[in-house]
Amino acid sequence: MTVPQTSAVSFSGPTLAFLSLRLWLGLRALIAGVEKFSARVTIQEPLLGADGAPDPSGAIVEIEKKVYGLSHYHALPDTLTTKFAEEPLLPALLTRPFFAALGPVLLLLGLLLLFGIATRWTLFAMGALYTVLTIGLMLIGQDAGVSWLAVHIGLVALALTLADQNRLTLTRA
Amino acid sequence: MNPSAPASGLSRRRFLSGSASAALALAAGPPLFSIGTGTGVEKPLRLAVIGFGAQGRVLVEALLKVPDVRIVALCDIWDYARVYGERLLKSNGLEVASYRDIEELLAKEKDLDAAIVATPDVFHAPVTNACLRAGLHVYCEKMMSNSVEGARSMVRTMRETGRLLQIGHQRRSNPRYLVARDRLLGEARLTGRITAAQAQWNRAVSADLGWPKKAAIPADVLAHYGYPDMHTFRNWRWFKKFGGGPLSDLGAHQIDIFNWFLGRLPATVVASGGSDYYKNHEWFDNAMVIYEFPLAEGTARAFYQVQTTTSSGGGYFEQFMGAEGTLRMSENPSLTTIYREAHAPSWEEWVQKNYLRANAAPAPEPGAKVDARETAALATYRLPVVTNKAIHQYHLENFFQAIRGRTKLNCPADEAFHSEYAIFKAIEAVETRQLVTIDEPVV
Repeated sequence: MTVPQTSAVSFSGPTLAFLSLRLWLGLRALIAGVEKFSARVTIQEPLLGADGAPDPSGAIVEIEKKVYGLSHYHALPDTLTTKFAEEPLLPALLTRPFFAALGPVLLLLGLLLLFGIATRWTLFAMGALYTVLTIGLMLIGQDAGVSWLAVHIGLVALALTLADQNRLTLTRA
Repeated sequence: MNPSAPASGLSRRRFLSGSASAALALAAGPPLFSIGTGTGVEKPLRLAVIGFGAQGRVLVEALLKVPDVRIVALCDIWDYARVYGERLLKSNGLEVASYRDIEELLAKEKDLDAAIVATPDVFHAPVTNACLRAGLHVYCEKMMSNSVEGARSMVRTMRETGRLLQIGHQRRSNPRYLVARDRLLGEARLTGRITAAQAQWNRAVSADLGWPKKAAIPADVLAHYGYPDMHTFRNWRWFKKFGGGPLSDLGAHQIDIFNWFLGRLPATVVASGGSDYYKNHEWFDNAMVIYEFPLAEGTARAFYQVQTTTSSGGGYFEQFMGAEGTLRMSENPSLTTIYREAHAPSWEEWVQKNYLRANAAPAPEPGAKVDARETAALATYRLPVVTNKAIHQYHLENFFQAIRGRTKLNCPADEAFHSEYAIFKAIEAVETRQLVTIDEPVV
């Protein structure tokens, strides 16, 4: 009978739980950030027949496509942007730089978390960001969004309680 | 050119000879119609625009956007319209020779390739026939004529001369209509069996057209062209000697779509109409027409109405209703919708092919259904085909491409005559108040 060797990195249940949370929260922030650089645009292309050749009518069809690019950056959907603009407790002086930074900050936090760089502080910063967003949504009466962000905050808090289980990181903290 | 000028008379032998030469001309293709310079640079087609009223202006606006064509001559009996046209063309860098009379134009302009005819209907046949005989290809506005004989003479002259004669049913070159007919109804058979069709063009009441008093045409000139006065000249569409009334002016486009989409002439027509509102018009101001189309799968009835006293009722459209769906077409894309019956097979394949685009389903309205027999609201789709050109430009470009031997006409005069015959029969049904049988028209 052989005794199994202990690996250099142990993956206990709590460790795997933390890594799952780190992965989820990292991807969530990263993808949310990426999507802020996306847009659905309408392009015009020739209508193609079954053989792939342009239709004899010469018809041009409008096709809606999702594209990504810096020029498509939008922090929030237009409807929410309008509501924030109408909220007197959220002056443009504050919201404008916040919205300008929101997408890049989400991208940065997502990457930091996925690569395991300053994980605790990254999680804390993520919690702070979601809290600030929650305040905004509270002020404009978006209760569903508040609940949605509350789930995120809960996951961040849970991750912080399990932060000692952190593995596979580029930095120790 | 006088409106009472006799239409072309041809013997059967000459007609057949003309048909054969026309067929040979088409078969010969580019060499016969070649406008090329042999240098690889396309020589612009030289055009005369004959008739510069409202429709003539629409066509000129479209022509100015067509590459490789050049308007070199302009003809209109009204100095006021002609001067306006000269200035418009000059502002677009075109110096044109200007004529009051078509015969003088044809006598002096010897290097024309084609004529664009947008005169009052009664002059279509004599002007077109003269141009064809002068060796020009002709694009003539619909209706071909205000008489069956006039229209028939145009087909005969086209065949006799071997020149091209395109009639201005411009929907036939519109990519949206081509896709609707060939892809949605043809390939996809979205509507299933078509049991009914409906089309309409409703316009609000409008005052008769006036004219600047200083610009009135002298009485002797008006009389030369058959007009009793300036009011008749400006409002010729309402007078039987010059036009065909609203069934001809507005209905011609849409009844042509019935025939083109359903692939045949109707067998019968009943109709009612009258001059009930305007007191100084000869033609009726409203008409309601029902055609019967004996299609291969069974009879389809097509209702057409034209109202010139109300714009209510949804504007202008042509609608084909089948057991599985309905196609509502209009030159106005915002009035075009495709409806899918709940039991119809999936249309996803056609959405994937970009023939259709699904609209968002409307939220159900509580209490909207007031009768248990009501069918639920249908899912709606839109036609994603866009038109980036003026609606007449496609048809004009088809004409010019045909002259250059690169395609065939989308609405040659013989096909247009076949279709317009049903309109003449509808007018007959209104006037006789009887069911009219529509026989196969003979050229």
